[in-house]
Amino acid sequence: MVSKPDISVKFCNLELENPYLLSSAPPTCTGEMIMRAFEAGWAGAVTKTIKPDKTPVYDLKNRFGVMGFETKQMILFENIEEVSKRPVGTWEKEIKEIKKKFPEKALIGSIMAECKEEDWEELARIVSEAGVDMLELNFGCPHGMPERGMGAFIGQRTELIQKLTKAAKRGSSVPVMVKLTPNVTDIAYTAKAAEEAGADAISAINTVLGLIGINIDTFEPIPTVDGMSTFGGLSGPGVKPIGLRCVAQIAQATNIPVSGIGGITTWKDAVEYLLVGAGCVQVCTAVMWRGYRIISDFVDGLTNYLADKGLSSVNEIIGKTLPRLTAWSKLNKDYTVVASINKDLCIKCGLCYVACRDGGYQAIKFEQGKAAEVDEEKCDACSLCTHLCPVPGCITWKKVTK
Amino acid sequence: MSGRVHTKTIPPHERISGFAPYVSNLDDRLAVYEASRCLMCYDAPCISACPAGINIPEFIYRIKTGNFYGAAKVIRESNIFGGECGYVCPVERLCESKCVRRNLNEEPVAISMLQRFAYEKEKLKGLVKFPKSRSKNKKVAVVGAGPAGLSAAYELARMGYSVTVFDANPRPGGLLLYGILPWKAPWSVPESEIDLIKEYGINFVTNKKITDLKPLLKEYDAVFVGVGATKSQKLGIPGEDLNGVYPAQEFLHSVAKWLMGEGKAPDLKGKRVAVIGGGDTAVDAACASVRLGAERVYIVYRRSLAEMPAVPYGRNQAREEGVEFLLLTAPVRIIGDKSVKAIECVKMELTEPDSSGRRGVRPIKGSEFRLDVDSVIVAIGQKPDEDLLKSFGVKTEKGLIVVDENFSTSVKGIFAGGDAVNGGETVVEAVAEGKKAAAAIDKFLSGGKSSKK
Repeated sequence: MVSKPDISVKFCNLELENPYLLSSAPPTCTGEMIMRAFEAGWAGAVTKTIKPDKTPVYDLKNRFGVMGFETKQMILFENIEEVSKRPVGTWEKEIKEIKKKFPEKALIGSIMAECKEEDWEELARIVSEAGVDMLELNFGCPHGMPERGMGAFIGQRTELIQKLTKAAKRGSSVPVMVKLTPNVTDIAYTAKAAEEAGADAISAINTVLGLIGINIDTFEPIPTVDGMSTFGGLSGPGVKPIGLRCVAQIAQATNIPVSGIGGITTWKDAVEYLLVGAGCVQVCTAVMWRGYRIISDFVDGLTNYLADKGLSSVNEIIGKTLPRLTAWSKLNKDYTVVASINKDLCIKCGLCYVACRDGGYQAIKFEQGKAAEVDEEKCDACSLCTHLCPVPGCITWKKVTK
Repeated sequence: MSGRVHTKTIPPHERISGFAPYVSNLDDRLAVYEASRCLMCYDAPCISACPAGINIPEFIYRIKTGNFYGAAKVIRESNIFGGECGYVCPVERLCESKCVRRNLNEEPVAISMLQRFAYEKEKLKGLVKFPKSRSKNKKVAVVGAGPAGLSAAYELARMGYSVTVFDANPRPGGLLLYGILPWKAPWSVPESEIDLIKEYGINFVTNKKITDLKPLLKEYDAVFVGVGATKSQKLGIPGEDLNGVYPAQEFLHSVAKWLMGEGKAPDLKGKRVAVIGGGDTAVDAACASVRLGAERVYIVYRRSLAEMPAVPYGRNQAREEGVEFLLLTAPVRIIGDKSVKAIECVKMELTEPDSSGRRGVRPIKGSEFRLDVDSVIVAIGQKPDEDLLKSFGVKTEKGLIVVDENFSTSVKGIFAGGDAVNGGETVVEAVAEGKKAAAAIDKFLSGGKSSKK
């Protein structure tokens, strides 16, 4: 009998029973909600972003949109919601309550203020003293807040990242994590700026700026507020590749821990984030769709995965893939393969033929009722056919020695 | 990967109280879902399996993108009775039998349900009407307003020919109205498509049975014969002339007419009915008998279920509606004085497969038994009206009109297609033959060159 793999992680000062946190978002809107999430099994939570009472915040009716694909109802989610409307005093009270009831869970206070150092320092002091284990500086919100010099407005300017990280560090009695926006040219650059300013950790990504869609019947952009809209923040399964790339870049560029965020829907997504160097992960959209209860599969799936891999701790996979990520120019140009179609598995749909004909190298021969065949002389191993073949394992690679 | 959509149906005990359709159509959400199951195969086998050659992956793709009217356009381009065929095609042995999804151990895409969906969407806007060519000043007569004749008439009218259609029934439609009962396809479906055909300026002469083609040949430049296979094959056993024995074609015809308010349907209320045969017509006759109030309905079939030509869908319907299957059973004689009292049957056994792979049967000696019934419906096959074909003066073989590859009969200028030629195939086959024959007629009338539509 194999002993159960250990899925607990240490992230900065946090001892997490599993690598899963709720990110700063609607599922962490109130103390009551956070406590229910903890009961369900989440290792920690980042509060919805707390702002100074003097900063006005509005919740538009309505503020979400989705993009589906074929039969999938949602592959991308968009929101134009602002930060927490609740007074700082309410949060202080609830933070104390949560920590009293769940001392072993990680509670991270997300904060945001206008571009004034004294405001950040003051808010950092209040929220850290209320009893959170860590602060997260929201430098990433891409909608609404940036118009008023907050959120991504800060995350897109390294001088502000540094100035305000330092201010928060001055006020805070706990470690400070900086949450970055992917809406920049080079996130490694902004991450390094945060590290230089003394950030203890980075979390990424915040939502990706987008326009989720237009109602082609009414010509109204989505989400529609009285006929109008604005650009919003994308999350959900579709942003995972952006998040993975950003986390890998940050992990390669800095020496501080990274909390991975972006489209994490299942334990498999989480594993991918851990493999590219995330020390823990944060989840929001998946919980908004299916509730806190998904944590049980997140935990069990990861545990079983590690057991199947013969690993005893989740720490063994953190960053495991990072060394395999390199510059394009360093990839092996002498590595040669060709596609190979398994005649017995081929269902004779001809999809590989059309794809190769119109989007590739005209290297596949096909006749109705017969298995498709690769012309190895013409195959350039672009891999298109392997991805669109509906049969798993039907088209594989054959190594060619030249 | 995802499973085939299953539509809502009215439970058997409720639906048998009437003749109305009992299968719901797909709503937008389910249609888009089902459409997304289509792989969009290249040179798709489903197209090859469709007698009308509808570009199935293309119309399904259009449903998937929400271009419902565009989907209907694709269907109607290939099949003027695309709506009707969506309802009545035996897709289990046509397009859906070749769906590549099956190679993935999945159920085929519900092509017919999607075709119905496209038609229902099309109907909301008005059926797709393709333009008509300039008038050609040539006249074609079409004898028989069934699927083959109407298809030929439509194609010829579109090409610019002046077309007159003759039919013995009061309304054009043939089998579509007088052979297919509404639970399979509401009559409004073929009616809407016939209305569309009428918009091409075709002259209809109904209630007129044509028995002599010579006068037509004098008045018209060409004649198309699509008189169908309106008669039933005979059992050739004693007692077939007793009261209560109905040939299936005539039986279904009279039920249809009764539902239209003309004449009477056979009174089967509380009766025991034996339907002889194992094809789709036998199933239709059995389910119609159930709806006419028969107390017990048997399908008596001489082979086993594996050889039964009726599509599984229909067989299931019959079974659900309480029809009892007497397999490996053949009638020997029908017993009765004036009216049917019983059938004497004999049990059969299967023999080794013949060269075509189909297993034959032979009676088991001494296994005769008596089945008490009040009515017998003979559904062992159909055939064209022999006397009618004789009066046409065209060459026939085994009771069918002989045509060459251009649908041309032995008489120059007379073409034929549909059941009268093929002996009783599907609606879609008849439509396809009518279309091909129209192209051949066009070639004939334009001196060997086919004119472009």
